[in-house]
Parts: sequence; structure tokens; C-alpha cells
Amino acid sequence: MSALAALEAGLLLGLYALLAGIWGVLWALAQFRQNPIFGRSAAAAYGLHTLAALTIILWTPLGFGWKCLIVGSSLVFLVLPPMTWRLLECTHQNEGSEHARKPSQHSRRLVARL
Amino acid sequence: MYRSQALAIKYFSAAMTLFGVMTLFGLISAYYYLNPDFLFGILPFNIAKIIHINTLVIWLLMGFMGAIYWFLPEELGRETTGIWAAEILFYVFCAAVAVVAVVFIFVQYGGSNEAALWFINQGRKYVEAPRWAALGIVVIMVVFAYNVIGTAIAARKTTGIITVLMIDLIPLILLYLIAFPAISNMSADLFWWWWLVHLWVEATWEVLIGCIMALALMQLLGTSRRIVETWLYIEVALVLGTGILGLGHHYFWIGTPSYWLTIGGFFSALEPLPLLGMVVHAVYDAGAQHMKTTNRPALYWMMAEAFGNFIGAGVWGFMITLPQVNLYAHGTQWTVSHGHFAFWGAYSCGVISVLYLVLQKTRNLAFVDGSLWRWSFAALNLGLVGMTGALLVSGFVQAFVERAMGGSTLNAFISGQENAWFVDGMVARFLLAIVFTAGYFVLVWDVLTLGRRAPAVAAVSPAQ
Repeated sequence: MSALAALEAGLLLGLYALLAGIWGVLWALAQFRQNPIFGRSAAAAYGLHTLAALTIILWTPLGFGWKCLIVGSSLVFLVLPPMTWRLLECTHQNEGSEHARKPSQHSRRLVARL
Repeated sequence: MYRSQALAIKYFSAAMTLFGVMTLFGLISAYYYLNPDFLFGILPFNIAKIIHINTLVIWLLMGFMGAIYWFLPEELGRETTGIWAAEILFYVFCAAVAVVAVVFIFVQYGGSNEAALWFINQGRKYVEAPRWAALGIVVIMVVFAYNVIGTAIAARKTTGIITVLMIDLIPLILLYLIAFPAISNMSADLFWWWWLVHLWVEATWEVLIGCIMALALMQLLGTSRRIVETWLYIEVALVLGTGILGLGHHYFWIGTPSYWLTIGGFFSALEPLPLLGMVVHAVYDAGAQHMKTTNRPALYWMMAEAFGNFIGAGVWGFMITLPQVNLYAHGTQWTVSHGHFAFWGAYSCGVISVLYLVLQKTRNLAFVDGSLWRWSFAALNLGLVGMTGALLVSGFVQAFVERAMGGSTLNAFISGQENAWFVDGMVARFLLAIVFTAGYFVLVWDVLTLGRRAPAVAAVSPAQ
């Protein structure tokens, strides 16, 4: 790998991971906010992430195995936020009643307000 | 208040002091790059760097211990077993740290003999403390483990979090034993030394902070035990699954078999995946609570932990983790940039978050908010992010000019150090280190006066 290619590959890999993070955060925010801009922004972030992945695959001299890893990671990044979210909702829905909760600062705040 | 919690406050005080020492010596180390003659003949660069790095390890360790001593009695409903020993060892720990620092600053070097290893410096990065002090750390950690396990036995109960913690303490202690042998074969020595450094930072410490954050989440947001424990198990499994064999991403230029590079590159490339899961989790928790809490600084620092961990360890790590890039980036300012961001995101933010939780309880505050913590939060995070950005630019130059183009010769090293981009990066790093230092002082001022500036803090509405 040439000097310039090493630098470019490093930057692209960083961008690739960063865009995956932005996709995850925006996707999660879109679940809370009704504003469709979050959903669209999340899709755009994942589109850019895919573009970064394609650039890494087509342009950098990384070996075949590493390129497969990039593809696989992109697929996992795609499903990870919805999967995590579903699991979170599932665990929160199944959460026991008040007796399962430790006395929290949240509840103490309500007491303080009263 | 339990005696264990009083001890926790002492540990947090010591941790905050060492955080300051680390910051000061980091500032001094940064200045050497601008003026290499600075403190010439008095304090060499390598000694300032040793103190910077070792205080980093110790302040975080003390912060973790403080957090555990704080939560343990509440979690198990009784005083910590053997607390008297822990109380004595706290003072021994502080005295040992002070003596080692004095030896590093004033003695600095020893000969190539056993006496130097025992009393001056063991010579391996992160574990330079002389052998007597390293033995002391083992004793302190063993007593710490005894405190945790003994309390669970005495209480005749345990929880999922405490069980994970107890299991984690065993490798934490065993791995530290690698600090002792002085293996004459450098490849073998570095091979095992990385087990200590990597598996502490990317395995056992990750589990430890996971346990601490789980306990903190229950207090801060009232999240149910079942939820935090379920996620603790998932996250610990994922972090350990990717982190342990990620060890191979350090095995460059030290004579280890080349298959380690592939193994290390592969597993550490998977590390951003669980970190992204943590970020989504953080957004979920914050959204579910509408960012409302009685302790705003604790919540914001906890959020900073999740995001900082993903960006510092995940994104910055992913840039350099594949062997083709790591080959050039290894040991440059690029990795220094990653190290700063990852330590900050993964650990420091978490310790500061717990510190605010402790302050709320000890000062009996209904709400914690105000403006000081925002200033410190902004200055510390901006300073840190700016420093890592500047270091990244300098690291690119090193990887490009010194390593990839110049082939790591002495001339190439000089060319890299003289490159205008490298120099500018170092100037920017120093300036942003000043911002970070200012943030530290504001943090200390806030911590010292929180609740004593009563109207400014207690009267603030929690639901802004």
C-alpha cells in the first residue's frame, strides 16, 4: 500500500464508522420525534455510509477479506439500531411494576414536587 | 452514611487531585513539542510523560474504586466487609503514589540492575512504578476484591451486577501480575506486557465501568434492575467477544507472529458494533426520560461517556485498526489521538458522572444544575476533542512523511517532526490543552462549591 493510499484508507475507515454512528443516532431520534426530517436524515446518513463503504471497496488496496468485513459490518450497522431498539422496548415493556424498581431520583423528584 | 461511602468520598478526592496532576503534566509534555529546551537538565520529557500516563491510570482506578465503595453497601444492604483494611490502605495508596512521584521527579533514573527495578522504575510504559509500589497495588487490589466478595458472602446475597464485578476482579488482579517479571527477551516481554495493558483497558476495565454505569443508571434514572442487568450481560459479552482477541492490533514491530495482525485487526474492527448499540441505548434512555433528571451534570456526563466511547474508541480506533493502516499509524500521534479520546470517552466521563451522583447525596441536594458544570463540561469536552483533532493532523504527517514515505529512518523522523503541519498540530494541541485545563479548574470549583452556593443550585427547576 502506498503512503497516500494508507492515509486515504485510514480517513475513509474513520468516516465509514462515524457515518454508521450518525445513522444510529438519527434513527434512534426519529423514533422519538414525529418530525420526518430525522428519518430522512438517518436514511441519508446510511446512504453516505454505504458510499464510504463502496469507496473503500472499490478504491483502496485493502485485501479481499477486509473488504468482505466492511460489507458485513455495513449490514450489521444497518440492522443494529432497529434490533437494539426492539430489544430495549421489549425489556422496558416487560419491566415489573413499582416493586421491581429501586427508589429512584425520578420518583423522589415527584415527592419533592408534592 | 456507611463507612464505605465515607471512604468513597476520600477516593474521589484523591482521584480528582490526580486528575489535576495528570492534566498539569500533560500540559508540560505538550509544551516540550513547542520548546524542546523547556526544563532542560531539570525534568526530561520522558519523565513528564511517565507521570502523565501513570496518573491517568491511577486516577481512573481510584475513581472506579470510589464508585464501587459508594454503591456496594447500598447494593448489598450492609457495611462493606473489612472496611478497616480498605481505610488503612487508602492512606498507604496515597502515600505510595506521592513517594513514587517524588522518585520519578527527583531521582529519575537508576542503573541497569535489580535495585533500580525495585526502587526507581520498572521501565515499561503504563507500569513504570517501581516494584515495591507495584506490590502495594496488588495488595490494595486484593483487599478491594476481598471487600467486594466478602460483603456479598456476609450479606448472603448477590446481584447480577455484583456477580459480574466479582468475576471481573479476578482477571483484573491476575493480569496485573504481568507487571513484575523482567523478561530479557524483548519480544516475549512486550508480548506479555500487552496482555496487561490491553486486557486491562479493553476488557477488565470495560466490564468494571459497565458495572459502575449500571449501578449509576439505577440511581440516576431509576431504571429497573432487570433492564440494566440484561444490558450489562449483553454489552459485556459483546465487548469481551471483540476486545479480548483485539489484543493482536498492538502486535506491530515487536517480533510477534504475523497471524496476530489479522486476528487483532478482525476482532478490533468489530468493536464499534457494541459501542453503537450503547449509543442507541443512551439515546433511548435520554428520550424516555425527556432528559429530565434531578442531576443534570451526572446525566450529561453519562451521555458524554456513551458518545465519547463510540467516537474515541470506535471511530478513532477503526481508522487505524486494519493492519494495512496500523502498520504506518502504529505509535504515531495518530494513536495518541485515539488513546486520548478513547480513555476520555470510555472512562473519565463515567467517573465524573458518578462523582456528581455522590455529591448530590452527600450534600443532600434535591436538584443539581447550574452554570458552572456546563462551563466545565463544554471546556473539558471541547478541549479534549480539539486536542485529539490536532493530534490527528500531526499523526497523519508522521504516518505519511516519517513512516510510509521515509521508511522510519532517523532522517524521516526529523523530516516528520519539522513538517509544518506536524508543528501546527502540536501548537493547536497545546492551546486546546489550556482550554481543557481551564475546564478542569472549573470542574473542581463546581465540585467544591456545589450546594454551598445554595440558591444557584437548589432552586433550579429540574425540568427545563
